[in-house]
Amino acid sequence: MIHVRELTKSFSDLKRGHVTALHGVSFDVKPGEIFGLLGPNGAGKTTCLRILSTVLRPTGGDAEIAGYSVRSHPEQVRARIGFMSGNTGIYDRMTAWELVEYYGRLYGMPEAQLQQRLEEVFRTLQMFEIRDVLAGKMSTGMKQKVSIARTIIHDPPVMIFDEPTSGLDVLVARALLKAIAALKGQGKCIIFSTHIMREVEKLCDRIAIVHKGHLLGLGTVQELQDRYEQPDMEELFFELISQHDESSSSSSDSLVDQPFRAEQAR
Amino acid sequence: MNWRNIRLIFQRELRDQLRDRRTLFMIAVLPLLLYPALGIGTVQMQLMFSEQARTVVILGAADIPQMGDVPLLKDGQFNQTLFDMPGEAEKLAVVTDQTPPTDNDPKHLQRYQDLMQDSREISAALPEMLRLDAIVKAADDPKHPRAKAAPVVTPEALAEARLRLKEQKDKIGSLFAKSDMHVLIVIPPKFGQNLEDAATALAGRLGNLDQATGYPRPDMVFNKAIDRSLLSYQSVKGAFEEWETQLLKAQLRVAKLPEGLTQPVNPVAMNLAHDAQIADNFWSKLFPALLVIMAMTGAFYPAIDLVAGEKERGTMETLLICPAKRSEIVLGKFFTVMSFSCATALLNLASLGFTSRHMLSMGKGLMPRVGDLSLPSPVSMLWIVLLLIPLSALFSALCLALATLARSSKEGQYYLTPLLMVAMGMTVFCMSPAIDLTPRTAIYSVVPIANIALLLKGLLSTASQDAGLIYLVPPVLIASFGYAAMALWWAVDQFNREDVLFRESEQFDIRLWIKHLLRDKEPLPTFSEAAFCFMLIMFLQFGAMQPLNAAFEAVAGSNKERALIQMLLIQQVAIIATTPLFMGVMLTSDVRRTLRLRLPPFSILAASIVLPFALHPLSSELISSITWPELPASVKFAIETMGSTAQPEWLVLLGFAFAPAICEEVAFRGFILSGFGRNGRKWLPIVLSSVLFGLMHMIPQQVFNATLIGLVLGIIAIRSRSLLPCIAFHFVYNSLGVFQGRLAETVKQSPANLWVTADPEGHVRYQWPTLTIAAIVGGSILYWLIRRDSTAAATNPTIRRVAPRLTGQLERLA
Repeated sequence: MIHVRELTKSFSDLKRGHVTALHGVSFDVKPGEIFGLLGPNGAGKTTCLRILSTVLRPTGGDAEIAGYSVRSHPEQVRARIGFMSGNTGIYDRMTAWELVEYYGRLYGMPEAQLQQRLEEVFRTLQMFEIRDVLAGKMSTGMKQKVSIARTIIHDPPVMIFDEPTSGLDVLVARALLKAIAALKGQGKCIIFSTHIMREVEKLCDRIAIVHKGHLLGLGTVQELQDRYEQPDMEELFFELISQHDESSSSSSDSLVDQPFRAEQAR
Repeated sequence: MNWRNIRLIFQRELRDQLRDRRTLFMIAVLPLLLYPALGIGTVQMQLMFSEQARTVVILGAADIPQMGDVPLLKDGQFNQTLFDMPGEAEKLAVVTDQTPPTDNDPKHLQRYQDLMQDSREISAALPEMLRLDAIVKAADDPKHPRAKAAPVVTPEALAEARLRLKEQKDKIGSLFAKSDMHVLIVIPPKFGQNLEDAATALAGRLGNLDQATGYPRPDMVFNKAIDRSLLSYQSVKGAFEEWETQLLKAQLRVAKLPEGLTQPVNPVAMNLAHDAQIADNFWSKLFPALLVIMAMTGAFYPAIDLVAGEKERGTMETLLICPAKRSEIVLGKFFTVMSFSCATALLNLASLGFTSRHMLSMGKGLMPRVGDLSLPSPVSMLWIVLLLIPLSALFSALCLALATLARSSKEGQYYLTPLLMVAMGMTVFCMSPAIDLTPRTAIYSVVPIANIALLLKGLLSTASQDAGLIYLVPPVLIASFGYAAMALWWAVDQFNREDVLFRESEQFDIRLWIKHLLRDKEPLPTFSEAAFCFMLIMFLQFGAMQPLNAAFEAVAGSNKERALIQMLLIQQVAIIATTPLFMGVMLTSDVRRTLRLRLPPFSILAASIVLPFALHPLSSELISSITWPELPASVKFAIETMGSTAQPEWLVLLGFAFAPAICEEVAFRGFILSGFGRNGRKWLPIVLSSVLFGLMHMIPQQVFNATLIGLVLGIIAIRSRSLLPCIAFHFVYNSLGVFQGRLAETVKQSPANLWVTADPEGHVRYQWPTLTIAAIVGGSILYWLIRRDSTAAATNPTIRRVAPRLTGQLERLA
């Protein structure tokens, strides 16, 4: 469903000059799978997911989503993904129903099917009591529900969640993760980024550890733990990152990509 | 382009804005309340201020002449019939030495006594002050009537008089300011009697009338620096002039002379305007200005909210990940902003129209009565609506593009305020009665914003409308829609840029920025660097204007022509060439590519040498066929120098052809065109660079000519990817201009022919056979150039081999 090949993104920045946010990242995500992007802040997770959602254009490499390239067919890609992040806010001056309906229409859904799907989504997410409430008057949890409804209204085969739990309290975050897990059950192809270890362990089938634009490790939790002989996920994460920082400060590029190459060779 | 998406976004944005109380208030409520409130305020102010009468004190009231039918004073006030403005007499409270207050109120009595005492003191000091003033006037302003009687004095006495006059003025001035009066009139003793005696003398045709009319005249004291005193003086003076006429008529009656004697000319004035025209004139001054400002204001807040506000609230990314294209999103938002811009402008116009009509028909107080002010005719209303569309479109697109740059609403306001200022400036320009859009000033029809305001002004004022104005409607509309389309294109372009949409809020540091510019060089300049290069050239030229002019003025007569050429050379090399060369070296990593320093295909080089011979006659005739504003003297002198035979040809060619060809090409087809065209576009950079090339030439006909030539040069530059053919074309074209002036004499003396003639002003005029051939040759070369594929040049093996070597040499030269 998602094929990412040698994805590179660079841009120029006033302070740091030429910055490469992604260094030739490659991975695949299959339907019915939750793929976790794990990395500290500034690792390049958001850049990667923004490229997948075609909001940013890659500098090098390509990604194919549901059979369409993000480079050549961005509109088709956008029609087939549901994207949700901390940055995807909802309009304050629209009610829950209006907002979800609006996006359903933008996704080009036929009116009858849209109304049916709206009923369905509102029922599953138990949103009928906030149906006609303006978003400006909603609590964070309610807004999050509307956001999820917005993400799944067109029933996309691919879903992208960019740190969806950031800034949420435990209850709302938990409900959100449950909802994502339920989507997996429907056979969706889900990619999920976070910097919280527990979420990954609980939710993801496979994970990729990203740091400073490099993919440091890729596999199931079990595979990674076995490969690096470190049963504790958090320790493993730190080890990989500090190992990368040491090797990049000694400016040896071959070492940097070692874990990733090992992965490829596998 | 999916119109369903555009409609969806438009409807949502519209509903969103209508749900926002602030927007609704700005767009609808404010205009509907503002003007009526202002109207009520004005009426209130008038009521409040009309109670504060201004005080005029008259001393010697007993001696006011009582001749004639119209007395000066009536019922303790000035006689209203002496004033033009109704109600004027009521505003002037008259206090005379004959009319103490009768109501026994001690306060009133005290005030009266103070006034009288102050007046008498001032009156007593007056003769001395007048004497001193006469002495000073005789020295400073001998034509002044008071100067005649003054004695001639020594310089010491004059200085003394000046000093004492100032003392006197200060003394009387402080007394005047302290007292409660605004004008003091002193009637000399026996003034009325003297007037009657003069009339008798005139009636008896007694010998010495000079003596009979040589009696002392009244004095009037006021202070020009006090507004209320000046106002009172002006209305009292008006009344006195009218009174004087009436007195003179009475004197003539006594003398049995015809009354018309005093007005030997007295022209009969006939006003042709009827009420509707007066009304149209009124609206034509008010509506265009308001339309511009309100179309801008109406676009301002929605644009910020729709783009910058959405970024701030985090809903922008949500919209960007839906399948709608960026262009569809921008168009949806654009139509929303435009609706609000139109609605604001129309609501404001309607509200102002009805309010001022209501106010003026009351015809009282501050606003003069303008007759029955009918609203503009339905045709005028249609014009307003029609012209509002491109105006709103332009403002909406500009506001959207600028607001896209902003990360937050607050930043959006910073970016948009300059635009509001420009709109205001344009309005002031258009309001000037001296500026009109007529076929003679057709050039205004391509000035953005102003063209619409001026056209509307012309179309609304039915009385002074130029018959040819209607022909300017298409150019104004085409130009305006063109600008709007360009602005919209820019907005879409902004929306497609990642660095604009996802700007991180980083602290701006000028040092970091300069470091970044010098460190992260790219092969070609950026769009903004190219634009900045142009701005810098313009600023430097503006700055150099004064010193260069001063140096030019300092040169004596016969050397002026040589000096002019020197100045031109300095300006070309030091400003126009140095700026792009410096920026190219400092800001780009590939100067050779930026300045197009490579060898061109031979065919294009040859074409560029032939093409000017075809285009020069065409452009020269085109310019002669349009009426242009009068040239400034300095430009006329430059043209004379160009045609003058006093200077050697090589020098003239150096100054007017060779230097501009190299310097201007390095700037406009080198740095600027490369910057505009760096993302592979062709036509936008060509058009933009040629417009800027035109603008640099300042004078309307040269702006026009240079813009057209700039288009051709742009095509040559893009097609040949080399600066050399541009320099060749430019040199040949300018040289033809130089020789056109020089050949006029030869042409005049040669026999009449089909090809060229000389007009009386000494210009060579090309005849139609020449023009036909020129059009065919020029047209085919241009067609060939446009159709030619520029990549062909790059793959030509000979060029590839030779080019690097020679461009290296060129670069060293540059």
